[in-house]
Amino acid sequence: MSALGTRVVVASLRPLGGVAGAAVDAAVTVERYATARVLDSPELERILVSAVESPRVQAAVKRALVSDGVRDIVTAVFESGLFDLIAERLLASEALWHLVDEIAASPAVTAAITQQGLGFADQVGEEVRTRSRSADDWLERAAWRLVHRRTPTPRRGTEGLRPGPP
Amino acid sequence: MELTTAAPTARTRDPSGVAYTGLLTRGIAFAIDAALINLVALVVTAGATLIVSLFHLPSNIRAVIAAVGVAAYVVWVIGYFVGFWSATGQTPGNRVMQFRVLTSNGERLRPRRALLRCGALVIAALPLFAGFLLTLFDRQRRGLQDRLARTVVVEAPGLSLAEASRRRRRTSARRAIGSEHAGADHPA
Repeated sequence: MSALGTRVVVASLRPLGGVAGAAVDAAVTVERYATARVLDSPELERILVSAVESPRVQAAVKRALVSDGVRDIVTAVFESGLFDLIAERLLASEALWHLVDEIAASPAVTAAITQQGLGFADQVGEEVRTRSRSADDWLERAAWRLVHRRTPTPRRGTEGLRPGPP
Repeated sequence: MELTTAAPTARTRDPSGVAYTGLLTRGIAFAIDAALINLVALVVTAGATLIVSLFHLPSNIRAVIAAVGVAAYVVWVIGYFVGFWSATGQTPGNRVMQFRVLTSNGERLRPRRALLRCGALVIAALPLFAGFLLTLFDRQRRGLQDRLARTVVVEAPGLSLAEASRRRRRTSARRAIGSEHAGADHPA
């Protein structure tokens, strides 16, 4: 008799279960849709920007950063040896050295090193050129003094030559 | 031909503003050229010697090869100067020291005149380099070789190595972008 009652109850509640499941699915869909809308909306960005730019928030962050509590936390993190462990693991990692090799061989890095080398060569070249021209002048003055002649004055001997832009 | 002027001294700059290059600067440029010429000759000679050493050649053949080598060296030296003077007016050494060899009319040297200047260079060097010393007493800083070949050596400031390299990279990047665009416009 009781089994029969149970069957009746289960049969009568089955449609209700389907309705409840459909209601939950609909609620999840609505929640996802609402979340996506909120995240995509410019309002969220505006709220975040105004929160970050708010003088009160900034003052609070500053106060928190200079507080003893934050200092204690930072000190505790460093004393915990966590960073030593991270550094140790990083140095032992093959991927890190692969990354270093990749960066060292990258065109940007090689171009920067080349540029530095060329800049140095330019500096040396410029210095040599300046000094050699000074030495030229000195040598000529000495030669003219030696033969007791006046320093030559420039004359117009090359009509075809005229200055122009490089 | 348009010429550029470098910061010259008052004595060596003619009224048209052209500055002439002095003896020491030209000497340094010549030393750079000589180093380049001999470096190339040394590498080629070393290679040729290694190849010849693999074969057991009679001594008279070796003498012939040596003579050919000397002749090739002379041709290489003459070709180096004549080629650069007539092509750009500047050997690599001239470029480093930033000057240029031109005719007295300001034009680029033709190969025949470049060859004449090359020969005159030897003549100027023969009497204990006295031909070069004329540079010290000439208003246009001309040596015997310049007088014989009717040439002048003028300042020609150029781009620095770093700037030239930067421009080359920019140009090649622009070309790469251009070819990418062309490829996108005309897909195969």
